[in-house]
Amino acid sequence: MLTGKGFESAFRYIELFWKGTATTVALSALTVFFGFVLALFLSVLRLSKNKPLKWLAIGYVELFRATPMVVQVFFIYYVVFAGVKVLPGFKFLGFIAFDRFFPAVVALALNSAAYLSEIIRSGIQSIDIGQTEAARSMGLSSRQTMQYVVLPQAIKNILPAIGNEFVTIIKESAICYTIGVQDIMSAVNSVKGATFRIGEPLIIATVLYFCLTYPTSKLIAHFERKMSHGDQSK
Amino acid sequence: MATNPNNTLISVRDLEKHFGKGGDIKALNGVSVDIYEGDVTVVIGPSGSGKSTLLRSLNLLEEPTSGSIVFEGVDIAKKKDASGKPLNLDEHRQKMGMVFQHFNLFPHLSVVENMTLAPIKVKKTNKEAAEKMALTLLDRVGLADRGASYPSQLSGGQKQRVAIVRALMMEPDVMLFDEPTSALDPEMVGEVLEVMKELALGGMTMVVVTHEMGFAREVGSRVIFMDEGKIVEDGTPQAIFDNPQHPRLKDFLGKVLI
Ligand SMILES: Nc1ncnc2c1ncn2[C@@H]1O[C@H](COP(=O)(O)OP(=O)(O)OP(=O)(O)O)[C@@H](O)[C@H]1O
Ligand SMILES: [Mg+2]
Repeated sequence: MLTGKGFESAFRYIELFWKGTATTVALSALTVFFGFVLALFLSVLRLSKNKPLKWLAIGYVELFRATPMVVQVFFIYYVVFAGVKVLPGFKFLGFIAFDRFFPAVVALALNSAAYLSEIIRSGIQSIDIGQTEAARSMGLSSRQTMQYVVLPQAIKNILPAIGNEFVTIIKESAICYTIGVQDIMSAVNSVKGATFRIGEPLIIATVLYFCLTYPTSKLIAHFERKMSHGDQSK
Repeated sequence: MATNPNNTLISVRDLEKHFGKGGDIKALNGVSVDIYEGDVTVVIGPSGSGKSTLLRSLNLLEEPTSGSIVFEGVDIAKKKDASGKPLNLDEHRQKMGMVFQHFNLFPHLSVVENMTLAPIKVKKTNKEAAEKMALTLLDRVGLADRGASYPSQLSGGQKQRVAIVRALMMEPDVMLFDEPTSALDPEMVGEVLEVMKELALGGMTMVVVTHEMGFAREVGSRVIFMDEGKIVEDGTPQAIFDNPQHPRLKDFLGKVLI
């Protein structure tokens, strides 16, 4: 049962929710950024003529897509980073504990890269081979052709899909409260512990997640429309 | 426009290109030909005879199965140069401009950006100089006012003229054309052929695959007839059109020259 009193006591911890929201946003944004960089790299490997590199990329993508996110997050935090033990314990922005946050970013970025690289690969493959041939015939190297001709067009085509991945990450990042990242979900958990109520903090979390994801998808849709308007392709 | 065997620019020997599983499609089946400086070499032949494959092999967009292509003294069909170093293909491609049937302009770049990309990135020409050159060339093909346009805003004929000057930006030693007018509406064919004719008159070495027999006859220094991956006849436009020897050439001309 949700009660006014329940919300009242939950709101006493609103500070936790604000910090949690900032953490969720930082976590998702960094994840998408690093995930994207890694994904670019993976998709180029995936399309390369070098068989071992190609198989390495395929293996990576399949592995990360075939296993649960929570397993990946636990593995990175408890196995990979447990051995490292050198992560500084400082807090950035004053409240984000780096030694939890960083492994979370790594795990989410590794996961996201697998999905993003498939999106990028399909984007690259959607570009007419004639574009590459024209570029190469003028003496551009394969790297330059990718950088100046193929990728700019591919990325424009896949921007909506990348935006959707961002929305997905915002939601899926909630898993990271299990390794002690103090995101929105962790605020719910703390309030539950302090007030013995779960419904009200969950409602607050729902509203917060919605306020992050809904405008994000609307923003993407807006850019998508704007770009297809001024579409300069054929 | 005299053919001068003393100035061989590209020397093709025994070129083979096989496609398909087990290489059963012989797109080029032993082609040997010399391309002379200043010549307009026109390549004609029925569909599937290997014209595009030959042209694309010249700048190694297709990797030949065997044979040699000596361009400016280097066998570019080999992966290594005389001293055993890996060949830098990009360097050779710069010297061979290519114009495609479907233009292949970069849709995300303006006309001037299309033209200056390679000079700036490959030749390291400074931006101002490259833009100036682009505008001069655009003026020459009657498109001085379209530099800021995007490809989607141009007609087919304008696109192809831009594609031609884009290739010229690299100051190539030879220009390769693969059916440059085949994708155009009939009323736009003339404007593109006109540009090509002017280029020829300016002394550019050109290899042109085309079905425009009028152009071949008027502008060509030499016409090559291909069939089934081989060069079947090779001669002056007069010899090819007025006095064809091979039955297959006669047959082909009978079909296209009605
Ligand atoms: N990438 C490819 N893969 C498989 N077969 C190919 C490929 N490219 C060309 N071929 C085959 O090689 C042969 C020669 O093709 P090519 O494109 O050179 O002919 P063409 O003379 O240019 O014909 P068209 O006048 O239709 O353009 C054809 O049988 C064609 O099907
Ligand atoms: Mg062809």
